[in-house]
Amino acid sequence: MAKLNVDIVTPERRLISTHADEVVAPAAEGLYGVRPGHSPFLSTLSPGPLTVRDGTNTQAWFVAGGFVEVQNDTVLVLADHAEPAASIDLESATAALREAEQRLAALGPGDPKTPAETARVQRERARVAAARAGGR
Amino acid sequence: MASLRDIRKRIRSVKSTQKITKAMKMVSAAKLRRAQNAIVAARPYARALDQMIADLVSRSEGISHPLLSSRPVRRVEILAITSDRGLAGGFNANVIRRVARFAYERDRSTSLRLTTVGRKGLDAFRRRHLEIRKDHAGFFNRLSYESARELAEELTVEFLEDRVDQVLLAYNEFVSAITQRVVLTPLLPFERPEAEGQAAGLRSLIDFEYEPSKQAVLDRLVPQAVATRVYRALLESVASEHGARMSAMENATNNAEDAISRLTLNYNRTRQAAITKELMEIVSGAEALK
Repeated sequence: MAKLNVDIVTPERRLISTHADEVVAPAAEGLYGVRPGHSPFLSTLSPGPLTVRDGTNTQAWFVAGGFVEVQNDTVLVLADHAEPAASIDLESATAALREAEQRLAALGPGDPKTPAETARVQRERARVAAARAGGR
Repeated sequence: MASLRDIRKRIRSVKSTQKITKAMKMVSAAKLRRAQNAIVAARPYARALDQMIADLVSRSEGISHPLLSSRPVRRVEILAITSDRGLAGGFNANVIRRVARFAYERDRSTSLRLTTVGRKGLDAFRRRHLEIRKDHAGFFNRLSYESARELAEELTVEFLEDRVDQVLLAYNEFVSAITQRVVLTPLLPFERPEAEGQAAGLRSLIDFEYEPSKQAVLDRLVPQAVATRVYRALLESVASEHGARMSAMENATNNAEDAISRLTLNYNRTRQAAITKELMEIVSGAEALK
């Protein structure tokens, strides 16, 4: 059966370029699964887990945002930031989440920094979740 | 005429200078290699992003983004990228001169403000009394995509909130290890990237499915592309800096070599002259005794 070409690229470098049977990405409206033969698709990414499955081998990543494009069995992930879920230190990720939550809680109502800090909390939360799921 | 001791001292001093320039050259060569790798590594992302925007824009009628639309230019802002350190030949001077020329030649009714990255540029523009909106001191100590994105965002806000009509980038473009080219190029309004290759026409016919929507995707893509552009300019500047310093130090090392050989020749001549003079004195003294 045909395989997907998967590229994960960040602004600083190309992370991987590989083949896979299935990719699940955190698209704008929830996790979005792609298999070979998928129709063209372009979405923004939310912070969350990105899984690349090839046969029985699954790689889990955490992406902080970016874009995903599917075209001709090629999945191109342009991530603002990406890291293997297994390499995230759960403890420090949890600490970062705590800190972000405290910063958000410290803001008064209507503070102009609220959206940015909310996004930060969501990002850290997704990172912790990815570490839990992928770290095993 | 300089005494033998003085010349010896000069030679020693030039030699130790040469050692320093040689070491600096080697250090720059190593840093240059790293900077070049960073440029190459950043390329796939920038290319893919440009392609996405080009495709998206060509696939859709009447889609636009505020960062893509231009307006009459009355207020200009230049992001001038120089380095924190000197001893890199014309590296900083070229950027400074280019920006200063723009400042003098501009229409007097347009205002000009600067955002500076790099201490050298900041000092020079202060001396020239150009208006500096913001300086990013110590930027190169923590150069990452993230810091470039913040810088880009700051300029984007200036543009979107209508405080400037145009943002330009001034930096050294990296051509090769020995060649840098100063460029002054528009950043905002963002120039729409062109679709590449003969597949472009075909690609534009494919119907994509978008999440959340075509416009929402574009709204995120364009600022990202601006940040990527700034990031590239910074990387190129860093590579250019090391390239320029490497060739400057190469020249300095060669000049020191020349100076040493000139001084050595001079030294030997002076020594020979002293010996000859002494001999003459002895000979004529002996002659007088006859």
